[in-house]
Amino acid sequence: MSFSFPSVPRNFRLLEELERGEKGIGDGTVSYGMDDGDDIYMRSWTGTIIGPHNSVHEGRIYQLKLFCDKDYPEKPPSVRFHSRVNMTCVNHETGVVEPKKFGILANWQREYTMEDILTQLKKEMAAPHNRKLVQPPEGTYF
Amino acid sequence: MVFIVRYVVRLKPKPVGDFLLCVGTAPGISASPSEENMRYFNVMILGPSQSPYEGGVFKLELFLPEEYPMAAPKVRFLTKIYHPNIDKLGRICLDILKDKWSPALQIRTVLLSIQALLSAPNPDDPLSENVAKHWKTNEAEAVETAKEWTQLYASGT
Repeated sequence: MSFSFPSVPRNFRLLEELERGEKGIGDGTVSYGMDDGDDIYMRSWTGTIIGPHNSVHEGRIYQLKLFCDKDYPEKPPSVRFHSRVNMTCVNHETGVVEPKKFGILANWQREYTMEDILTQLKKEMAAPHNRKLVQPPEGTYF
Repeated sequence: MVFIVRYVVRLKPKPVGDFLLCVGTAPGISASPSEENMRYFNVMILGPSQSPYEGGVFKLELFLPEEYPMAAPKVRFLTKIYHPNIDKLGRICLDILKDKWSPALQIRTVLLSIQALLSAPNPDDPLSENVAKHWKTNEAEAVETAKEWTQLYASGT
């Protein structure tokens, strides 16, 4: 029998993510914070991605909504773009990041974080199938 | 040699059974481990008498991280509370949960300290700036608000 250490419960995990987000991540091209400072269950979050170099997204600022339900992080959060964007894994009508078309959500593991999701999305923007797609005007929203 | 053996034993993580022994005997405090995770506790603290929290039943959650007992337990309030050292997310500003943690402290001690914090709010070391300001400028009114919140959110129904 192998011993596995009990995992960090949802709320403490989200507090860790909150604190990490408050400190600021890496070069700042990906960030996130809580929407409602009064929500003790920390469900709604806003993420921001600054579009990567060498792509049509370069310098553009994308806002996203992430929703961590009671079953997070066993299950991934739901993720949708608030800012309009044209990407293969994003629903054109709703802005929802479709889990089937986005690896980290499709093959979710509890160690993954909102930071990982945003970082992967930024990488995805620079992928060959996304980096040259015609984009909606900046400052428009789903 | 004996010395080394003792040292190793001291550093070994405490078995789960010990966690239970460390809690539960203090008046006005209870802690029970959750079914799925033996290191995650549902905690209940009664507001101390002669404090603005008197009559309140406060729910908290406590988790013993992997590094415990070398690192402090993680604790926060789930019940809303108006207190200068507790923020809107229930996070607690208490030295023994941070730099003053010692592996010799028990969960029971931690919970008793939190209960004591309810009796002695410290607006000079605030976590909620607004609440602390309220406390320092008009303590009577802040205490009233704390009582109202206790009624509203911690009446235990």
